[in-house]
Amino acid sequence: MIKQVLELLFGADPELRQIIGVTLRMSVFSTLISALIGIPWGVAMGANQFKGKAILSRITNTLMGLPPVVAGLIVFMVLSRSGPLGKLSLLYSVSAMVIAQVVLISPIIAGMTANVVSLRAPSINETCAGIGIFGWKRLWLTIKECRIPFVTTVLAGFGRSIAEVGAVQMVGGNIQFKTRVMTTAIMMQTNMGRFELAVALGVVLLIISFIINSLVHRIQEQTQRDRTA
Amino acid sequence: MIVLRDVIQQFGGRVVLEIPELRFMSSRRYGMIGENGSGKTTLLRLLAGTSKPGSGTIEGLEGKTVGYLPQAPYAFSFSVLQNVELALEGHREAKELAEKVLVAVGMESLANARGDRLSGGEAQRMALARVLVRSYDVLLLDEPTSSTDVRSMDLIEQTLREYVQRTQCTLIFSTHSPAQALRLADEVLYLEKGRLVEQGPAREMFHSPRDERTKAFLRHWSFSS
Repeated sequence: MIKQVLELLFGADPELRQIIGVTLRMSVFSTLISALIGIPWGVAMGANQFKGKAILSRITNTLMGLPPVVAGLIVFMVLSRSGPLGKLSLLYSVSAMVIAQVVLISPIIAGMTANVVSLRAPSINETCAGIGIFGWKRLWLTIKECRIPFVTTVLAGFGRSIAEVGAVQMVGGNIQFKTRVMTTAIMMQTNMGRFELAVALGVVLLIISFIINSLVHRIQEQTQRDRTA
Repeated sequence: MIVLRDVIQQFGGRVVLEIPELRFMSSRRYGMIGENGSGKTTLLRLLAGTSKPGSGTIEGLEGKTVGYLPQAPYAFSFSVLQNVELALEGHREAKELAEKVLVAVGMESLANARGDRLSGGEAQRMALARVLVRSYDVLLLDEPTSSTDVRSMDLIEQTLREYVQRTQCTLIFSTHSPAQALRLADEVLYLEKGRLVEQGPAREMFHSPRDERTKAFLRHWSFSS
């Protein structure tokens, strides 16, 4: 079986390449959109004190643990023919998978961002107030100081996106050469008893996961070194 | 003149500061002493406007420029010089002024070092330079030399004296060192458990404190120092 797995990995299997391509396209787009939503959301929560912050924080934390099938169900209902966005005919497309992923990942990036910002914001706010810096300038300085941890949160979002199965299966439909991604393909191939492709895809997933974790680890180490140097 | 009336500040139902009336005269130097949790930082934060009093009023700060050095100032991850220049954004001579104040606090050799890589004492001196680079009507300093060595402390105290002399600002600072309060302040305030116990001319308070609690605090300090 190892030989067959290696042949798949280093050969020119069109289905494998297509699955990897769709997976990366979906994960990159959903992570970028989630970062555009989640980072401002997290910064707003972490850097400021405002009425309703506690409830917003609780909602965010709840959404961080949103079960993928629930996210899939919501997006499915919204995009289905009788749903509010049914006319767009997005169901069973990569776009639908990206939307489901954004619903799942944005709160995760927002929550992690809020944690990162809230660690630094009180000290930055007080320091800035002491020298007459307020408003956007203060906010910009806070964002600038958190830029490296932000990369970590985005990478964590990408890691979550690429490993997601439940929601993308529901709204993508696992259609061959269209919406099949690594996780849904692994599940299907395993159910069919075709372990070679499942293992080959699992290896690719593990390698990507290892690269992401190494990057996160390296960034965290660098940040730690900067703080203690 | 800054006047506090019936100021009460609570955190989680606990009263951390209760001041029926307190006045700070313009161009005078005030040193606040007291143990941890006595309300020094809370009072400075209220004066700086970084927190609002639960009840009561603070008058006399309208239209005045207030500079404030918090107890744990943030050291930004850019250079020491840029950290100081931050307070002078848009100023034509920002670089020159920042370099000058860094010399005054003995930090000129570290001007190009990264702010977030300084030692605790260096970071404190950089933060002080960042505040002192501008002229304020009221200057609030929360334990400005708590992390610095004796030599740097002398330099900072001298710089502060010159700053007050030049700007004629009202200086209000907190310190754990009654000796520093005596060296820098015209008047000393002793706070205990959020209440002002005694206020008076520095020398008078140290040589003949009126309140038993002030006596006990100063006695304790002289034994432990």
